[in-house]
Amino acid sequence: MKPMVVCRRLFAVAMLLLPLAGTSVAQQQETQQQRAQSQPYNNAPTWRDVRSGKEEYTSIKGRETGVLVQTYGETWRQLKNSWITPIAGWLIAAVVLVIGAFYKWRGSIKVHGAPTGRLIERFTPFERYTHGVVAISFVILGVSGLIMMVGKYVLLPVIGYTLFAWLAQLSKHSHNFVGPVFIVSLLMFIVMFLKDNLPRLYDIKWFVKLGGMISGEHVPSGRFNAGEKVWFWSGVVVLSLLVSASGLVLLFPNFDQVRAVMIEANVVHMVSAGAVLAMSLGHMYLGTIGLDGAYEAMRTGYVDETWAKEHHEYWYNDVKSGKIKAGTAIGQPAAPQAQH
Amino acid sequence: MARMKFLCDAERCIECNGCVTACKQENEVPWGVNRRRVVTINDGIVGAEKSISVACMHCSDAPCMAVCPVDCFYRTDEGVVLHDKDLCIGCGYCFYACPFGAPQFPQAGAFGLRGKMDKCTFCAGGPEKDLSKEEFAKYGSNRLAQGKLPACAEMCSTKALLGGDGDVIADIYRERVLKRGKGSEVWGWGTAYGKPDQKAAPAGAKS
Repeated sequence: MKPMVVCRRLFAVAMLLLPLAGTSVAQQQETQQQRAQSQPYNNAPTWRDVRSGKEEYTSIKGRETGVLVQTYGETWRQLKNSWITPIAGWLIAAVVLVIGAFYKWRGSIKVHGAPTGRLIERFTPFERYTHGVVAISFVILGVSGLIMMVGKYVLLPVIGYTLFAWLAQLSKHSHNFVGPVFIVSLLMFIVMFLKDNLPRLYDIKWFVKLGGMISGEHVPSGRFNAGEKVWFWSGVVVLSLLVSASGLVLLFPNFDQVRAVMIEANVVHMVSAGAVLAMSLGHMYLGTIGLDGAYEAMRTGYVDETWAKEHHEYWYNDVKSGKIKAGTAIGQPAAPQAQH
Repeated sequence: MARMKFLCDAERCIECNGCVTACKQENEVPWGVNRRRVVTINDGIVGAEKSISVACMHCSDAPCMAVCPVDCFYRTDEGVVLHDKDLCIGCGYCFYACPFGAPQFPQAGAFGLRGKMDKCTFCAGGPEKDLSKEEFAKYGSNRLAQGKLPACAEMCSTKALLGGDGDVIADIYRERVLKRGKGSEVWGWGTAYGKPDQKAAPAGAKS
């Protein structure tokens, strides 16, 4: 950039900041009045005023009807179309590919020892139902959100306008109605699992070895390993709460929030949702096909002692020594007997 | 083919709201929706008061069209930006993106649930068959198909609001400016139609 241009830009910025330094609205209007007399038809000050996006007088009742022009909408459009949508879309696609490649390379992580047949209760029914509601509502929100964000580029060319609009309408409604269910269950979930996700010293060791995921080495952990804890704090607590809070701003447009607020909420919503979706794929992979026994633990609440010893040794020791009260399948006919 | 544009002359607008009324009457717009509104800057300050009538400007590079998740917007051969209410899902994105606050949503349920978006059509109806009952019910009048210009501009008592072929109305405005000797700012044209040397968006193209 030429120095002349820089000077001119600096001058322009200074001129823009000048009215902020002490001039009141009344003074501004006075200058506009004077300008109308000294330079008739030169309305530059008036249009600068309009450009600021401030509310002027109009007899039409409603939110922001007095704003002639707002400029942040264009900023949002550039952010959404050129950055957030493509980055989030490609990130999720890339994570799917990476997980697929990992599965091909490593396969499902099996339990090494023989199952003992003795089962330990890992999750109470209430914990399981809460997790189930969070998980199902999360998947519905994720799929419907993706349809509304990238469907235009991915699905629309394939299935056509009529069908896609129907699908998007369905997505919007399910997003709106499932959202509050997710928020309530999420808050319950966070309270329920907060204690066991507090960081412990042995988590550092788990991190260094990445839980033995690459090497296949055995690394002991508590009820939740360090990877699960990271997912809990970043994905479940921080990102999901951000998504929830910004989602509420967008879900209830009847509280007279202005466009700038909704745009900001939308940016927070899309960025955090994209991140949490990408992360969730790893969690879902390990909870289903990635790790033998994890799905059964989530579904039935019970794990075999061998599984507990191999994956969560410290927790297993605590259960065994009676430090943690956990039910065992023995003497509980309602619990599933057959495992593996 | 003409490129349809709106132009509001701030030196002439007297804030009578005749355009707002004409639009409501002509198009029987949904309850709670105003496709056009008049905004007054420095209301009540003698000498500094300026009024502007604003509605959808039918932008060359329309932000609403760019952010719509179902791609329900289209541009006619005359540069008019229209949308298909059968596809619209009422997400509100066009309303976030629009610089002029044109897209509006009739409430469709509790908690401010948005219905199908409604906005100025330049009195050009919608994707339905021209001048059909369905077109009128969804989008209002199709005066362009009848060879007429938008009702708001045609009704304007001081001819402040001009609507029509961009070249023609720009010429009318240029003559006015020459007569006055000063003041060539056309409000909103930079935002809606870009700089004069900028290439116009291809007519009828989806973006």
